[in-house]
Order: sequence, then C-alpha cells, then structure tokens
Amino acid sequence: MFKSNTDEEYNPSYNNNTLAEPDSVETVVGPSVVVEGDFASEGNILVKGTVSGNVKTGKLLTVESGAKILANVKAGNALVSGSVKGNVRVNEKLELTESAQVDGDVSCKILVVAAGALLQGKITMKGIEIENLKNEKKPLRSKVKLLSEKLD
Amino acid sequence: METKLTDYGIAGKIIRLQHYTHAEVLVEDEIRKGAKTVVIVGNDKTFGYVLSRAATCKITYGFLPVGPDNNIAEVLGISVGVEACDVLARRRKLKLDVGWVNNRYFISQLHIPPSRIEIEYDESFRVSAKSGKMELVVCNLKPFSWSGKGKEYIVHPQDGKLEAFLRPIIKSKIMKRDRLEPPSIFPFEEMVVSSKTPFPVETDGKVSKEMKIKIRLAKSRIDMVVGKGRRF
Repeated sequence: MFKSNTDEEYNPSYNNNTLAEPDSVETVVGPSVVVEGDFASEGNILVKGTVSGNVKTGKLLTVESGAKILANVKAGNALVSGSVKGNVRVNEKLELTESAQVDGDVSCKILVVAAGALLQGKITMKGIEIENLKNEKKPLRSKVKLLSEKLD
Repeated sequence: METKLTDYGIAGKIIRLQHYTHAEVLVEDEIRKGAKTVVIVGNDKTFGYVLSRAATCKITYGFLPVGPDNNIAEVLGISVGVEACDVLARRRKLKLDVGWVNNRYFISQLHIPPSRIEIEYDESFRVSAKSGKMELVVCNLKPFSWSGKGKEYIVHPQDGKLEAFLRPIIKSKIMKRDRLEPPSIFPFEEMVVSSKTPFPVETDGKVSKEMKIKIRLAKSRIDMVVGKGRRF
C-alpha cells in the first residue's frame, strides 16, 4: 500500500482524442527545481522554483507566488508574485501582485503595484519629463548672465 | 499506397529492414548505386532506427508513416496513410536539426528515468532537484506528453533548439508516496548530464547505462521532405 512508486509514469505514446490544445514551448522552472548560474532565454520564462543567478529574457518573465530569484533580473515585461532579491530592469511593463516582494532597484516604463506588495529600492521610470524642465532653466540663467555682463 | 506512388511516377528499390541491418551502410551503398532519395516507410521506431545511424549520409529523406505510434509524422506535416504520397510527390525540402549524444544521433527523444542526476545547460547554469532524483526527457521531433490533475498535456517541440523536460520526484503529502512533479522545461543547444552512479539512457528505443552524457543540437543535418502543415 505504501510502496514507493511513481504516480505519473512517462508515456511516450499519446492518443490524439484525449489531448488538450498544444502549448507553445517556453522556459518553466518548476517548484522543486533549483537553478544556479546565469539563466537566459529567448522566449517567455515562468519561475515557480528557486533561481540563484541573473535572469534575462526579451519577453515575459513570470515569477509565481512562492518562487525566489536571488540575483538581477532583465526582461521585456514582468509579472511578479514571488520574491526577487536583486535589481529588476524591465523594458515595458512591470506588475507586482499583492504577494510580491522585491528588494532591489526597479527600472521600467509602466509600473503596476497591487495593495500589499512589498518593494524596497530606488524606482526609475522612462519617459519622465520633469528633468527636462530643469534643463530648460539652465540656458535661461546663462542668458541672464550674458545680458548682465553686456550691461556692465 | 503503392498504386498512388506509381500514379506520381515514384518508383524504386524496396529494402526491408531486419534486426541486424545497419542503416548507415545500407544507405551509403544505395548512394553509390545512384539513389537520390531514401523513403522511410513505417512508424516513429522505424524513422528513429534509420536516421539515428544514417543522418550523416548526404541524401534526401522522405517519410511514409504507416501503422500506429506515428507522432513524428504530425510534426513533419505528413498525414498517416495514402495522403502521405501527396507530400512526397510535392517534394518540399527542409534541412532538419537532430540531437547528438555521446557520438550518435537521436531523432525522436532521449529518456532518462528518475535518477540522481545533475544537469549543466549551455555551460552557463546548473539545474538540480531539491529531492535529488529527477526524470529527464529531451525532445527533438517527437512531442512530449504528460498527465496531471486529470488532464493530458502536450508540448510540440520546435525546430532550432532541443527541449529538455525535467520532472523531479516529490513526496505526496497525504499518502507519502513518490510522484512526479509537472515538468520544468528548458530549451537548449548543449547540455551535460552527470551522476556519481550509472544511470539508464534510452535513445530512439535503445537503452545504455552512462555516468556522463553530452547532448547537443546538430543543426541542419538532414534533408527531409516535409508537408505544408508542419509544426516549425
């Protein structure tokens, strides 16, 4: 009864009638899997386990609740429900759900933070124009200086 | 099927495979005699048997899937039965990638039953299971299927990369029985699987015991006649 055996045996053959829709292949790190080292993929990455190393993808990175990434992250888009200890650099949209924990600097274009999400670090967002206003003041000051010099 | 092939003007020598037939020697011999195309007739096992040995031969391969256990044909866009002759007659050729493991090719799948193995991918990261034991399936052309939560799942491999499906063994909370976790998936070009103890490796139906294997992708190795509905 308590004999150690496997429930879901490997099945190399399959019956077309019983299959679900075919999935597109993406990188999946399962809950009982540990990845050590720099980890890069061209497609989407779904993390359910632990990754101790940098993670890089040009597409969507999903960190599920209970999953951990212990290094820097670079992605096209990211949806975080687990923990990330490291800097997060996202080209487009970063979404932190209520169970997300991020300890590191964040850089993105669009940021969505759900109530309850924990974020500790500097946030940098692309497209901010306040900085440009400061830059515009500088030439004005120099013009004033020039005028005062001329008057003298 | 033979009538349809005759209608298309496709004819040639028929060679029947036997247990001790060496496919590479056979194909090389036919190339010397002037053969331009080799058509494999059978199922996934026949396809793997011929191409795991004869992938080095410079010739175009065709495939006529016949009988049960024909999953590779679907990936190649070839219908099972008489319709396969239409695909063969159209002669739409593509260069296919094959898997390479310890000095031999594999076409469909490589399977390592649950063992204490450690995997290094593309010399950049290592993957291990928390429990220690895990099953590994590397797919080249044959789709990978598994069942879990009362559902059947299937992943069709894409050409250009090999896909590794890892399933660690986990303890069930209620019955304390061992069961396989849903797979972790890693597309890769090169991986090294190693262990302190010998582990069984099954490639295209052949089983051997190894301590360390290097698996990589041999790009554009086979000239193959494929169908319009192929999955890559």
